[in-house]
Amino acid sequence: MRKSIALFLFFALLSPVWAQGADDPGLTESRLKAVFLYKFTGFIDWPDTLKAQPSINIGVLGSEAVANELAQILPGRTVGSRPITVRSVDARDIGADLHILFIAKGESWRLTQLAQSLQARGVLITTESDGALNQGSVINFVIFERRVKFDISLESAEKSHIKLSSRLLDVANKVIGAP
Amino acid sequence: MIRLGIVPATVCVLAFSGGVFAATGIPAADAVGLVDLTLEQLGNLEITSVSRQPERLGDAPAAIYVITNDDIRRAGVNTLPEALRLAPNLQVARLGSASYAISSRGFNNALGNKLLVLIDGRTVYTPLYSGVFWDQQDVMLEDVERIEVISGPGGTTWGTNAVNGVINVITRSASATQGALVSVGGGDPEVAGTFRYGGALGASGHYRVYGKQYQYNDTHSSKTLQGYDWQRGQGGFRIDWDAGADDFTVQGDFYEGKSEEFATGNRRVSGMNFLTRWDRVFDNGQNLRIQAYYDHTEREDPLLDFSDVMDIFDIEMQHGIPIGRHGLLWGAGYRLAKDDTDPGFLVSFIPEERNLHWLTAFIQAQISLSEEVELTAGTRFERNDYTGWEILPSVRLAWKPSESQLLWAAISRTVRAPSRIDRDFHLGILPAFPSLFIAGGPDFRSEVAVVNELGYRAQPNKDFSFSVTAFHHDYEYLRSGHVPIPFVQPAFVDNQMQGTVYGIEAWAAYQATPSWRLSAGLSWMKEDFSLDPGSDDPDGAQDLGNNPMQQWMLRSSWQVSDQCQFDVIVRHVGELPDPKVDSYTAVDARIAWTPRHDLEISLTAQNLFDPGHVEFAEVGAGGSVVPPTEIERSIFLKLLWHM
Repeated sequence: MRKSIALFLFFALLSPVWAQGADDPGLTESRLKAVFLYKFTGFIDWPDTLKAQPSINIGVLGSEAVANELAQILPGRTVGSRPITVRSVDARDIGADLHILFIAKGESWRLTQLAQSLQARGVLITTESDGALNQGSVINFVIFERRVKFDISLESAEKSHIKLSSRLLDVANKVIGAP
Repeated sequence: MIRLGIVPATVCVLAFSGGVFAATGIPAADAVGLVDLTLEQLGNLEITSVSRQPERLGDAPAAIYVITNDDIRRAGVNTLPEALRLAPNLQVARLGSASYAISSRGFNNALGNKLLVLIDGRTVYTPLYSGVFWDQQDVMLEDVERIEVISGPGGTTWGTNAVNGVINVITRSASATQGALVSVGGGDPEVAGTFRYGGALGASGHYRVYGKQYQYNDTHSSKTLQGYDWQRGQGGFRIDWDAGADDFTVQGDFYEGKSEEFATGNRRVSGMNFLTRWDRVFDNGQNLRIQAYYDHTEREDPLLDFSDVMDIFDIEMQHGIPIGRHGLLWGAGYRLAKDDTDPGFLVSFIPEERNLHWLTAFIQAQISLSEEVELTAGTRFERNDYTGWEILPSVRLAWKPSESQLLWAAISRTVRAPSRIDRDFHLGILPAFPSLFIAGGPDFRSEVAVVNELGYRAQPNKDFSFSVTAFHHDYEYLRSGHVPIPFVQPAFVDNQMQGTVYGIEAWAAYQATPSWRLSAGLSWMKEDFSLDPGSDDPDGAQDLGNNPMQQWMLRSSWQVSDQCQFDVIVRHVGELPDPKVDSYTAVDARIAWTPRHDLEISLTAQNLFDPGHVEFAEVGAGGSVVPPTEIERSIFLKLLWHM
């Protein structure tokens, strides 16, 4: 009996350590947000300057996790006939070719600095912090009882000259600034 | 009987082969598989992995342990009392199929009366004895959002009866429980099934309806007092409206349970409740809550030869006023209980019918003394029919030297007001001599406790957090009895015991790898009771409760792969002193597969290595020990399907 317990506990408690090489954390927040970001590309109508780009470009500011997840999803996927790319960006060098910029919680304080220039270029600003919609974000992720939902600010979308599909608005948790 | 040699091997093989299932099943939680879902479907997925995101360090100056929905699911339990085992600051002892002795910081017995238990704001302890009939209170566990377990008085927002702790069960709002959910499972000795359906109501409303059936087949243990077949069915609904600044909730449940006892006849319980709540947030930041509920319970106990019907009507309000960096919270409430007892051959309550009224008011101020220090001071006034007004003041100080640490201290005076069993309980030979042995407690007054607590909570890095609390409870006027002089003077209930309980509670959580989380809990306490000089109570401290000096638990939660979860809990409860019960160590384990993102198959085993052990022994009438029931090994296979 004692031996069974010892053996069992040995396997039960230590095995996660052995299996660490093949570790997969399952359905994490980052993974789900990355999938949403990819999906958003099919519901957005960007201004002409960005429409002319050869690919749809997603930039991620401040989250290696989300960038890595997107890197797994995107290969081979297209919107219309354009491929989709992702890259981690540095706050000082965002790049003029981004269609979507995801600003992670840790970098959300930069939003007020960046909002105007991003909106002028028609970038879809997406965030995951309270109050971001009032600071220029168009789509903000919220966690509600272990589910990932998103709120939309139509005002921010208008300032960015972005049109959002009504299908996207229907699914959103909250839509702010409906005219 | 399960042959144990095979079990560890099988579990290990299954645990490691989570990868095999990933290949054969429909790909689910890996990112590439998710991409095929619609936006709506994505929004309904729950983040199921053991989260790497650390919990925000709570700011409450109290010893609070939160049992999350995920914790409940991973423990593989089917009823509310079993879910409560997860809290390291609670003593949970199973007496048999449906009876439990649950308490915090001592005083544990089947008549545990120092714990306040609420389900969605509805108080579920009975004014009959200030305790909870655990065979009458249950919830649909899959839709529980969290259970907050507060040890100690917890503050002025909770009232009398919250002497040693508060259990606050909070279910999910209807908007978060949409769609259909079916759960069926069977095993030895439990069989259970649950369904729930949720939908939308108009533009801003949501509803859900649910049903739950539970059966415990106690065919192995001899038919002891608490060992019997038990079945219970429950159903209910909840409706939530979100109208901007106003939130409305209406909910109700009904249930019926009965035991199959061959000797004495069936014990029956049944009841229903209905609750409405209105929450409003004002532009100036103030918030208001008004809540009213009706609760009806019926109980027939042929063994004790006693039955009871209780109707409770309760209305209360709370108003929060932020004032700069400070805050003021105040509230008031009224409760009416109509109790209708039916005397048996020996047991009666006199008067048989009684209407009890309670009036409460409280006020609490939160004062920000500095950036790091906050003082919470308040008092509660409660009026009951037996003793009039009681005052329960409380002062708490919280110091946050950094974002990741909190040091808190509290002093509270709290009270356990009399219930019917203290004042109106008679034991005799009916109908002629109802009070031959016990003649109520005509002068029973409230039990009083002064509680001192000191706690420290910290999260030194994002993977590790812990909490430690030291407490000292000083009790006066504890319930005691008197030796009867047969045919001359019956015994009566009095308040001539006093004592102290002191100890430490601690818990910690460690995210060892992104998919492996360890948690631990420990409680240690010492009780010291004495009779007041001049008291001739024959039983003494034995009647107050039977508690172990220490208990601890270790929990391992491992997300083996996208589709496989493995959880183990090792729990140890020390020896119970009087009546003596041996200490025990139990191991529970659960393995779960999610072959599709909406289907979960799980296998749970409790007391894996132990054919049976006793968790509690009680003292019957006359001071003799009631033969205790052994709690046996159990196994349960469950299918959970979200549609």
